[in-house]
Amino acid sequence: MSDAILWRGPAARAAFRAGTLDIAPAIPATLAWGLVTGIAMAQSGLNLSQAYALGLLAFAGTAQLAALPLLASHAPVVVTVLTALIVNLRFVIYSAAMKSEFMMLSFPRRLGIAYLIGDFPYVLFERMAPQYEPRLRPVYFLGIGICNLVVWQAGQLAGLLAAGRIPPEWGLEFAGMVALVALVVPMLRSRPGFAACAVGGGVGVALDGLPAHAGLVLATVAGIFAAVLADRLPRRAR
Amino acid sequence: MNDNLLTWFAIIGISLTTIVTRGSFVVFGSRLRLHRTVEEALRFAPAAALGALVLPALLLRHGHVDFSLENQRLLAAFIAALVMWRFGSMIWTIVVGMGIATLLRLMA
Repeated sequence: MSDAILWRGPAARAAFRAGTLDIAPAIPATLAWGLVTGIAMAQSGLNLSQAYALGLLAFAGTAQLAALPLLASHAPVVVTVLTALIVNLRFVIYSAAMKSEFMMLSFPRRLGIAYLIGDFPYVLFERMAPQYEPRLRPVYFLGIGICNLVVWQAGQLAGLLAAGRIPPEWGLEFAGMVALVALVVPMLRSRPGFAACAVGGGVGVALDGLPAHAGLVLATVAGIFAAVLADRLPRRAR
Repeated sequence: MNDNLLTWFAIIGISLTTIVTRGSFVVFGSRLRLHRTVEEALRFAPAAALGALVLPALLLRHGHVDFSLENQRLLAAFIAALVMWRFGSMIWTIVVGMGIATLLRLMA
């Protein structure tokens, strides 16, 4: 193939380095968020090996934080996994948008790339990748993704280790809830986002008594319908 | 089945959702075209799930909606949300939210 992907050589090294530099401004936020996730995991009744496994394998802060209260209250496994799935559904959009850049890679390499797709890396890559030749884009994405992975895992590890020394009375598991609030707030700025959150939350409150956390699942479905409807309503004249 | 084993199942399941969603097109090469409605549903699913998770956790105490100042966590989370809305900083949101929650707990 004439346009084979470049993995080695000066141009590839430069593209990798550019990726790490481009994501560098996000490092403090990623570190802090990893730290909070680590602390919340350690304070929510997971043992250390479970917390490590979840952090390394799932590598999805929002889904991890969303799953924690469910794990702590021994919700049915199906509900916990379904909630994580719904929170992760946005990655399907990212995956679809990025597919064309990576489809010529081998299966293991595509798997590795997919593992690295997160919110920051996706947004950055979509914005910056056009500046690079297509054959350098995978290695550019690796620079972004690996830097993001290392920073996040370091924060999470620090949080896990620190939390072991903090007494549970401090209520640090609440940091996970505050982090979820911080994630929700920007979503409220768009009409469908607000509708999803308000209807999801309202129905969730109303159905809280249902067994097996069924209320959470039904409320989420209601919220998604509300978002799609809200986007369909005629817009006000500007 | 014991709780420990169930927790492990949940951890494996959560991890699978990561690779299934991130890999849907990149790894598994789905040929589906995302219809506009489907894409909207996917895009706003997190807002719906997080709302459904966070609001009941903050509003309800002992099965009832509690808007009183006794509900310290609601107050702390609300102020944290205002910080996020105004300043957009994750770090300060968490610092303020946890600071207020701790203050209220110590004062109570």
